[in-house]
Amino acid sequence: MNSTATAAPGGLIFRALRDNPRGKLILLGVFVFLVILPFILPNRFYVRLVNEIMIYALLAMSLDVLLGYTGLLSFMHNAYLGIGAYSTGLFLMHAWSGSVWLAMLAGVLCTMAVALPVGWVQVRTGGLAFALLTLAFGMMFFTVAWKWYPVTGGDDGLMGLPQPTLSLLGINLASSGNSTAMYLFTLGVVTVCFLFTWRVIHSPLGAVLEAIRENEERAAFVGINVRRYKLIGWMLACGLAGAAGSLYILYRGYTGPGVMGAFEGAGVLMMVLLGGMGSLWGPLVGAAIFIFMKDFLSSLTEDWEILVGIIVILLVLFLPRGVAGLPDLLRRTKAE
Amino acid sequence: MGWIATTVDIILNSLVLGGIFLIMGVGLNIIYGLNRVMNLAHGALYALGAYFGYTLVAVGANYFLALLLAPIVVGAVGLIIERVLISPMRKRHMIYTLILTYGLMFVIDGLIKLFWGQETRFIQLPEFMQHTVSVGPASYPVFRLVILIGIAAVVTALMLLLGRTRLGINMRAASSIPEMVSACGINVRRVQISAFVLGCILAGTAGMLAGPLFTVFALMGHDILISSFVVVVIGGLGSLRGAVLAALLVGFVQTLAEFFVTEMAMVMVYMLMALVLVFKPLGILGEGKFE
Repeated sequence: MNSTATAAPGGLIFRALRDNPRGKLILLGVFVFLVILPFILPNRFYVRLVNEIMIYALLAMSLDVLLGYTGLLSFMHNAYLGIGAYSTGLFLMHAWSGSVWLAMLAGVLCTMAVALPVGWVQVRTGGLAFALLTLAFGMMFFTVAWKWYPVTGGDDGLMGLPQPTLSLLGINLASSGNSTAMYLFTLGVVTVCFLFTWRVIHSPLGAVLEAIRENEERAAFVGINVRRYKLIGWMLACGLAGAAGSLYILYRGYTGPGVMGAFEGAGVLMMVLLGGMGSLWGPLVGAAIFIFMKDFLSSLTEDWEILVGIIVILLVLFLPRGVAGLPDLLRRTKAE
Repeated sequence: MGWIATTVDIILNSLVLGGIFLIMGVGLNIIYGLNRVMNLAHGALYALGAYFGYTLVAVGANYFLALLLAPIVVGAVGLIIERVLISPMRKRHMIYTLILTYGLMFVIDGLIKLFWGQETRFIQLPEFMQHTVSVGPASYPVFRLVILIGIAAVVTALMLLLGRTRLGINMRAASSIPEMVSACGINVRRVQISAFVLGCILAGTAGMLAGPLFTVFALMGHDILISSFVVVVIGGLGSLRGAVLAALLVGFVQTLAEFFVTEMAMVMVYMLMALVLVFKPLGILGEGKFE
């Protein structure tokens, strides 16, 4: 299934497969492993944990498009996951619960519709003000989700969500309450999103985004409309975050304002840092490490936010390029 | 009484709120102007100031004594932060210090919860501050007026420091051309460190002043941090005069919004910010110092 899906966008991915066969084989191996995983894991808890990891991996990857490729920092990218989750949930509850794909589409479109004016304002400022604005707007969305009781359910969140039937490649799996079906559905959507993003990043558009990251002024001088491309990068990142949000509410069957909080946002940032910015696979690994770590630390101590803060500080000080930077670092220390 | 009293009330309240924002925003701007570091732990330091003040008052110190001492302790914390965390990052891209101070914010917040617990604290005020006094047709709590006077004193002291002292002049010069100041034989590193510490002292002072106003709780730094960013962004990054204007504007809008729409007051403030940025992307008095 993987190879047919990759062939579609054209020769580029074939070429990449030829150029870096080992990396691609590893990715293919990971994919096959993930497909088999729910059938060999006896414990449902771990199936759901890996499912959550995949959803957050998608969110972390979308933040990496912004941070690692466009050079823009968003502190509260989880706000857009929240918007996607709420709008998908509201669509399922009040509009139509018959098609899960339509609900997802509604979630993504809604997220992008909200992200467009926000992004339009944000790209008018520079890098630092951009980051501060993401924090302010993120807090604004959090406040709205928290206080707009009639629509969002306030503190209680969206409850009584119908469980739609999941379908993948025309095959009806089961309702979203079934953990294996939800897992496979998530895997399918995340894989498609990953390949799509990979394709975009390795297109001329991706090159433009990287040019902006490297030197905004120079990019403007060669005739790139910096604001427009920043906005495109922002919309791409928010659309993917919205998709992650749709998956999130299908997976949890519930969402509250908690997922949109500032602390959760720091978590997403940390996934990207852990994995390494500017490499699409890094944040995926980062998300896995982070969620396992969170699961482990929160079972040990209640004050795990101190630990998270300390780990962020240590990462920035000593391993700014994350896991993806490790091979490079090892090579350099060996050479010395 | 009636609407005149309400108006007086709103004006005084927005001055108090704007004053707190002003002290926070100027602190952020001074740190940014000299160190090119946007300190996301500023709100946490503000909370730290309030908690130190609370403890000082709880062990028997006078509120005014605590108002002097707590910011100094926060300044000492700031000095440690600068030496240990900010200094090694000086050569790196700004995004890293931004993320670093974000992590620091969670550490300080977590430590506050660890030492002082989750429950809300109240700073015990001296007897005379617990009454109300009539201002024109309105009756107004004395402690709010005292806070207003405190804010005025802090702002005056800051103006004197920046305008009349050697250190202040060095700071202002180094914020525009650090190389030139360095060429004049002044230790720019020392000026930068003192700017960072000064910013932290201001955060502690703001926390101590705001403590009786909003009560003291573990996450008190979060809301104020966001509001101070709004002030800094609206006023223009690195612009002190812009921060003054923006602080008063935001204080006024937020007070009005809290009066009329209550729950969604902050949404109005963000809308204001978006509106300003649409027309003036660099802020009201921005000098193009964005990076």
